[in-house]
Amino acid sequence: MAVDRGRLPPVGAPAPLLFPAIERRGPSNGARVWSVAHRETELVSLVLLVPFGSGADPPGCEGLAAFTADLLDDGTRRRAGVDLHDELGRIGGRLATDVTSDATVLSITALARHARDALALLVELATEPRFDPQEVERVRALRISRIAQLRHVAAAVAERAFLRSVYGTHPYGRLPAGTRTALARISVDDVRAFHATHYAPDRWTLIVAGGGDRLRGSELAAVGSTLPPPAASPGGGGKRGGVDDVPAARPSPGRLTFVARPGAVQSEIRIGHVGIERRAADYPAVMVMNMVLGGQFVSRLNVNLRETRGYTYGVRTAFEGRRRQGPFTLQTAVDAAVTADAVREAVREIAEIRDVRPVTEVELAAARPVLTSGYARNFETPGQLAHAAMRLALFDLPDDEYSTFVARVAGVDADAAARAAGRRLDPDALRAVVVGPPEIRPALAGLALGEPIEAAVDEFFR
Amino acid sequence: MLPEIPHVKVTLDNGLDVIVHEDHHCPIVAVNLWYHVGSKNERPGRTGFAHLFEHLMFEGSAHHDSGYFRPLQEAGGTLNGSTSADRTNYWEVVPRGALDRALWMESDRMGYLLPALTREKLDTQREVVLNERRQSYENRPYGLASMTLMAARYAPEHPYHWPVIGWPDDVRAATLEDVREFFATYYHPANASLAIAGDVDADDAIRAARAHFEEIPAGPEPPPVAASVPGPGDGPARLLLEDRVEAPRLYLGWPTPRLFGPRDAELDLAAAVLSGGKSSRLYRALLHERRLAIDVTAHQSSMEIAGHFIVVATAAPGRTLAELEAVIEEEIGRLASDGPTAGELERARSLLEADSARQRQSVGGFGGRSDLLNLYNVYVGTPAYAAADFERYLRATPDSVAAAARADLGVGSRLALSVVPAGRGDAALPGSTPVETR
Repeated sequence: MAVDRGRLPPVGAPAPLLFPAIERRGPSNGARVWSVAHRETELVSLVLLVPFGSGADPPGCEGLAAFTADLLDDGTRRRAGVDLHDELGRIGGRLATDVTSDATVLSITALARHARDALALLVELATEPRFDPQEVERVRALRISRIAQLRHVAAAVAERAFLRSVYGTHPYGRLPAGTRTALARISVDDVRAFHATHYAPDRWTLIVAGGGDRLRGSELAAVGSTLPPPAASPGGGGKRGGVDDVPAARPSPGRLTFVARPGAVQSEIRIGHVGIERRAADYPAVMVMNMVLGGQFVSRLNVNLRETRGYTYGVRTAFEGRRRQGPFTLQTAVDAAVTADAVREAVREIAEIRDVRPVTEVELAAARPVLTSGYARNFETPGQLAHAAMRLALFDLPDDEYSTFVARVAGVDADAAARAAGRRLDPDALRAVVVGPPEIRPALAGLALGEPIEAAVDEFFR
Repeated sequence: MLPEIPHVKVTLDNGLDVIVHEDHHCPIVAVNLWYHVGSKNERPGRTGFAHLFEHLMFEGSAHHDSGYFRPLQEAGGTLNGSTSADRTNYWEVVPRGALDRALWMESDRMGYLLPALTREKLDTQREVVLNERRQSYENRPYGLASMTLMAARYAPEHPYHWPVIGWPDDVRAATLEDVREFFATYYHPANASLAIAGDVDADDAIRAARAHFEEIPAGPEPPPVAASVPGPGDGPARLLLEDRVEAPRLYLGWPTPRLFGPRDAELDLAAAVLSGGKSSRLYRALLHERRLAIDVTAHQSSMEIAGHFIVVATAAPGRTLAELEAVIEEEIGRLASDGPTAGELERARSLLEADSARQRQSVGGFGGRSDLLNLYNVYVGTPAYAAADFERYLRATPDSVAAAARADLGVGSRLALSVVPAGRGDAALPGSTPVETR
């Protein structure tokens, strides 16, 4: 029987999402050990949250947290780096090391039949790194070269310039990779001290998901008892760094930064300001409002700049919720000839959603389901579940954060969206970065963002 | 050992293959549609069409003549598409209650795209594609390297000579008539494969697929693709490209067997032994022991007509590409003569098994179970090929990996491309010929 082409099929009600119960063990030697149920049998996912990241870099040692994390797999007290990687290969393991301003997250996914070996390896990497001076030198040279490479990636230049413009000297004003100058200066002792102070298991959350439930119950309880007690960690009593409140941050002078990139065919653009904490009560309303503004393909900004004007391959906005107020960022790359027009349109859209053209009921009806109807697909794989549980620990969120999210988004009405726009967007505070060819510089002076401050690429890669 | 992906397959009267895989643990359904058309089906002077359609397919069809993202995102779906030299795929992952909507939309753009295809849409998407090219290739360090290597590897009339995104002049010159003809030739049920995977009953899914797709006529048999065999060719074997980059980078490429062809699996294993993880041979030699490079990857890129084995390495400060080349040649030579150790082969196999298992964790998206079922169905003729695919790796031995390296990774058929900072032509391998990019 043929289908009715006269109208789109209606959509059935989405199934409710119930985040699986988290089985908790410990604290044992201070570490929290969690297990999230998942029926996956071929692979196991392990995630270790160490709640210190580049925000804990001491002044003058920018990049220390990321450097330290990078060195964990280059040798432990028991094994050389090459042997660690042979073991990782044997268990079909992939190791990921992710350092943000708020945290260091180590994860391994491996074949389930090697689940216990994967767990032992992860604990060994985190607790027993060797920090051999020769390896430190080798990795230092690699990291410095890689930062130098990024000078030629317009998006990397724009990202660095934008964060510095918005956050100034606050830790959120720089990327975890740090600077070449600081990396050149960091000593082996700095690395050892950072590890001893920040990696003590008393602040860990270790999460297991999948693996045919090989690691549950008593098996899991035993994990904590194998960890070194915090007191046994040399230097474990050092002062731990953290991230200050953002109001303590002082933005850099000048609202519009221009970085010349001779010969560039596109301009890389960032616009935004300080945003929200992940824990903020109006997080769902901000997510809905952002969907309408620039959070999806059919957002106001993408329809305007991509579909109507053909300026760009895409534009998006995001509020990145962190432990402190993370950035609100608009990002796009546009045909260089239309740079000034694109910035003007983008700023106009951000301003108008606050008053001239507030979020409409029609837009709300379209935006809410984008966040809610498909929410379940964020919790499909064990890796997704383990990382979701990790974020509960990192951001001090309640266990029912995910299970109640859909209902909280559904409750965002036009008033709530308007309040979110009014409170969380501030056209007068917007800062913009343009990385593009020098010929477009004159046109930028006509934007209502003040005289452009010119910066050289190398300022962001010292 | 990776198990088969359980499924049922039916072929509709119009030739459309429908494959359904049930998995009820998460309340979502993946819809994945492959058209067996890619840039290899284009012809010189008319390149970039398959990719251009990947854009036009989201711009509306006769019964829904506006963007495709809105109705599916509102339904809680996520969607995307991609184009390669061999095929184009379109997919949605939706809550189970939105399956009909996804099928309605996929079938509407298969059966009724052309009435809604206007010059205005073509012009807008042409600009978007040219911007995509600027963003993803021209404005990105080393972004033009791969297409330069392919253009040199394959003769101008070979279907892999031109890049998937097309030559910019061709994209600018494409007329409405050109693209209509291309669509009529390739985008129809008999040249497509539909996979539905997730929280759905197989009978219901097949019934829904019939209801939406059965009315679409089968369409013509697509013309065969004529492929000359790639060889060393008569062009220069050492090429040079200046780019806005920090460090010189070396690309080495060899012509190899096609996907699922003889030695294809052995070359995957060889790539893993050479560069899979930090204890791999090239990583150790180049980054650990001699510190000549800051990164290295090896990859067997196996495609439908032919394969291409590629090694890419970036020089460390003060090091030359000739030094990198010598070490890579030495390591490949050692692999070709002695093969991997038993431990190396076991690790390479475990990593490949785990990587496949990781992809298979999702029902949808690129590389998910629905995509994999279509890949097997389109290239092998049956979706029931996951176990056979993996058995290829289990059968490989140190000797067979060595034999593959001997057969395919010799210096005679090798092309070398040096990408160097602008004005630093001297940093290329000696004797390299500058190439023009289009």
